[in-house]
Amino acid sequence: MPTWPKETVHINKRTRRVDGPAKVTGAAKYSSDVQPEGWLYGMILRSRWPAAKITRIGLDQARRVPGIKAAILVRDGERTVRYYGEELAAVAGTTKQACLDALRAIEVDAMPMPFVVKEEDARNPNSPRVWEAAANLSSPRVIERGEVDKAFGESAAVVEGSFATSVQLHHALETHGNTVSWTDEGVTAWASTQGIFSVRDGLADNLKIEQSKVRVISDYMGGGFGAKFGPGIEGALAARLSQAAKAPVKLMLTRFDEALAVGNRPSSFQKIKLGSTADGQLLAFELESYGTAGIGSGGSTEGGGGGAEFPAPYIYRVPNIRVKQSGVVINAGSARAFRAPGHPPASFGMESILDELAVKLKMDPVELRLKNDPSPIRQREYAIGRERFGWQDQYKPPGSTPGPVKTGVGCAGATWGGGGQGTRAEAQINPDGSVEIRCGTQDLGTGIRTVIAVIAADILGLEPGQIQVRIGDTRFPPSGGSGGSTTTASVSPAIYDTCHKALKALEDQTGVADARGDQWKSACRKLGINPLVVSGEWVAGLSSSGAGGVQFAAVRVDTETGVVAVKKITCVQDCGLVMNKLTCESQINGGILLGIGYALFEQRVMDRATGVVLNPNFETYKVPGFGDVPEIDIVLLDMPERGVIGVGEPVTIPTAAAIANAVANALGARINRLPITPAKVLAALGRTKPGLA
Amino acid sequence: MKPFQYVTAATPAGAPELLGDNGCYLAGGNDLLGLMKEYIVEPAVLVNIKALPGLDKIESDSDHWTLGANVTVAQLEEHEGLKVDLPALHQAAREVGSLQIRNVATVGGNLAQHSRCWYYRHRDVACLKKGGDTCFARHGENRYHSLFTGNNCISPVVSNLSVAFAALDATVVVQRRGSAVRMSIADLYAKAWDNPTAHHSLNPGDLILRIEIPRQSLRSAYRQISEKAAFDWALVSCAAAGRLSNGQISRGRVALGVVAPVPYQVPEANEMLEGHLLDEALAARVADRLLRGAVPFADNGYKVPLARALIQRTLLALRA
Repeated sequence: MPTWPKETVHINKRTRRVDGPAKVTGAAKYSSDVQPEGWLYGMILRSRWPAAKITRIGLDQARRVPGIKAAILVRDGERTVRYYGEELAAVAGTTKQACLDALRAIEVDAMPMPFVVKEEDARNPNSPRVWEAAANLSSPRVIERGEVDKAFGESAAVVEGSFATSVQLHHALETHGNTVSWTDEGVTAWASTQGIFSVRDGLADNLKIEQSKVRVISDYMGGGFGAKFGPGIEGALAARLSQAAKAPVKLMLTRFDEALAVGNRPSSFQKIKLGSTADGQLLAFELESYGTAGIGSGGSTEGGGGGAEFPAPYIYRVPNIRVKQSGVVINAGSARAFRAPGHPPASFGMESILDELAVKLKMDPVELRLKNDPSPIRQREYAIGRERFGWQDQYKPPGSTPGPVKTGVGCAGATWGGGGQGTRAEAQINPDGSVEIRCGTQDLGTGIRTVIAVIAADILGLEPGQIQVRIGDTRFPPSGGSGGSTTTASVSPAIYDTCHKALKALEDQTGVADARGDQWKSACRKLGINPLVVSGEWVAGLSSSGAGGVQFAAVRVDTETGVVAVKKITCVQDCGLVMNKLTCESQINGGILLGIGYALFEQRVMDRATGVVLNPNFETYKVPGFGDVPEIDIVLLDMPERGVIGVGEPVTIPTAAAIANAVANALGARINRLPITPAKVLAALGRTKPGLA
Repeated sequence: MKPFQYVTAATPAGAPELLGDNGCYLAGGNDLLGLMKEYIVEPAVLVNIKALPGLDKIESDSDHWTLGANVTVAQLEEHEGLKVDLPALHQAAREVGSLQIRNVATVGGNLAQHSRCWYYRHRDVACLKKGGDTCFARHGENRYHSLFTGNNCISPVVSNLSVAFAALDATVVVQRRGSAVRMSIADLYAKAWDNPTAHHSLNPGDLILRIEIPRQSLRSAYRQISEKAAFDWALVSCAAAGRLSNGQISRGRVALGVVAPVPYQVPEANEMLEGHLLDEALAARVADRLLRGAVPFADNGYKVPLARALIQRTLLALRA
């Protein structure tokens, strides 16, 4: 069984990103920066109707716009569109303005149809159907275990509540898109993607060409959060435009587009009932929920996402449960996997009702969790976090701060599977001692390039800067998509295996007993003129899955204005053997920021009357700014014996729940719907003057 | 955006004729270019007014501060004299957009900017303010909308500076048909109170030249509450000014922003201040008077308690 070295020079230390300078100087070329010879702009015409029969789309006028080289339909013939922003046609031209003009010159004949964009409306059987053949509200998935009604009868304390989370948009800073060149030799796509092989296979399938004729490159990409697997409609359109125009086409979506058609986290509306013994042992749990994933909802998509269902009663052990979960379709863009699909809404509902129970039982919320959380790892983490955060001193009865500005604290836990497998890699050791590692993974932004350099450097006795890491190209040995927090756990063991094999091959071939460190260059010189190329693959025993984490939040709430400020987040996270502390902590910082956005700001706003997304920009779809970022204290639970575990997803799960609990603790009143805006705080405090509904 | 001609005006007097039938003045462009990109405004000509001589200066004599229309918001924010003499203006400037925006945004542009209502700003929504039939916000998503209005559009004015200027008794000097017209802040926005398609009272061709603020040895303050800590629009903003002597206030002024299509002022509320001890009780009574008659819609009722707290805080800040 392979094992990671006990003593390391680079692994589990703090190594700066090897590509940091390239990124901050602009030398790093992202997919949106690529400019192959003769490239054209591509743009998409989207439906202006939330629902309509499209009877004709005329492209002739668009083709006559100066500079336009191609105009194509997404689909021939009559069709039905089901949301504002659905793709209709695309153009390619020599300038952005030419494309904009061409989009306005396209003639679309449409027969508008009734539509529904609010979850609460859509579930009403009298509402217009999004899909003619099925009701908007799916029949519920039901899970029942034990004797729920009896257990509630035997419970000393029972609490009930309703909780809701809003549709959250991914909004990666680099929008979706590709630059695609389709020639007789095949297709080359520079993709902003978290899965280069999924883009390759998707394009091959869509364009009916062999996978071997498609090359996908993603040297650098600006975030995906789960919404950038596969080529997407925009990728296929870019390829078809390239074929039609006989030139490379760069089709990057706009910020406006990002709000419409490339994924989101489903909303949730949860009715929860929870019962326990007098000393806080959970006995019974009941949940009824629905939520929307846009036009595609309903069915379960465990772990991979997009459905409106979520795990319940989340991480807690409750012997008697009844869970009924439905999805409701609306005329809006489909959900996609979004950083820990299902978990943040699950965490928000469950941790909220748990704190309600703690209040009813007059019990410390941490004690209540320790009593009911079966994970020994989170038990340890609560003990560590409680000390570190100063919970004992800070936790006060709800609403007990004197004065109009109140402080509060809250906590929440999370779980994530992760794990990894299946990656291959190769090392090329050149006679001059230089080293290349090639692996068909991609850097979603987590720093995998640096992690590869760190591992190779440790095994070969070199510095990370001496390792030339080449990733993001389907011509390299295959690796999986970067989703589900699996990249580091998939790639690291393959690099370990490859480098060990390469070192052994070098030593065998050159007769140098230990080629590492000082001996490296002289050993490599003995290779003669041919570089050594060695392949390796993911091996078991170096990584594992299942990561627990807990977070504590401290907030300040101004009860006169309703403004919530997060003052501090303490995160204790299990991540096995950390490959690089610096990039691991960056992941955690980013996850917490996303959680703060979910808690306080982020919400896609649909308009009932017009069916449009009203906030397709960062002006009114609000994300945290620097002023909203609290002190973040991170404790990496050191468990090297577990091997590598991904950390991207678990760290964003409990943040919003911890913040919501802290706000409830500050106020003595709960805001049960995210995001927690000043309007909702003032309403919860009973201060809002009722308006004209 | 639509193609347009671009010309630079050399003198204020010569600027209006360059506009033609369908032209717009271009200063910082933060607002105008956004409107053009969304095809909400489609001018055939842009007249660059940034080169107009003398409009980029902050000047003062014993009686007045004079701010040229092309003074940037960053200039206001950084000006040491204004910071001491007109803190409300300094504080209002500091809350405008981001530093990058403040570096190009001008005083004139800030006053003349269009509504930020998300229906008005949406490329595919033909709302009342754009000449359509319906104010969708009335029965739709109105969390950021007005509590007071004299017409059927409920989008509020969002200019921070207008609120501070209102409390500071500023006069806006506008070139109109060849002569200089002097307008109060109330005058500058009066048309937006009655007319759903208006953002202010300026006619095509009108050009803001400068803002004059009397030096009255007033204390002043501006506060706003936003959802985000920075780079966010105010949910409600408030400016107050007055002279304080032995705790008593005279010449008191309060103005509210983002609750009406105009910087919202109630003369009676100002009169309630005159000669009284400025304490919590007075501030609360003035807040109640200012907010009397507020008509909240489904989602903006929170603005009433928010504005009440903000008025009190801003007024009491004058004591500091």
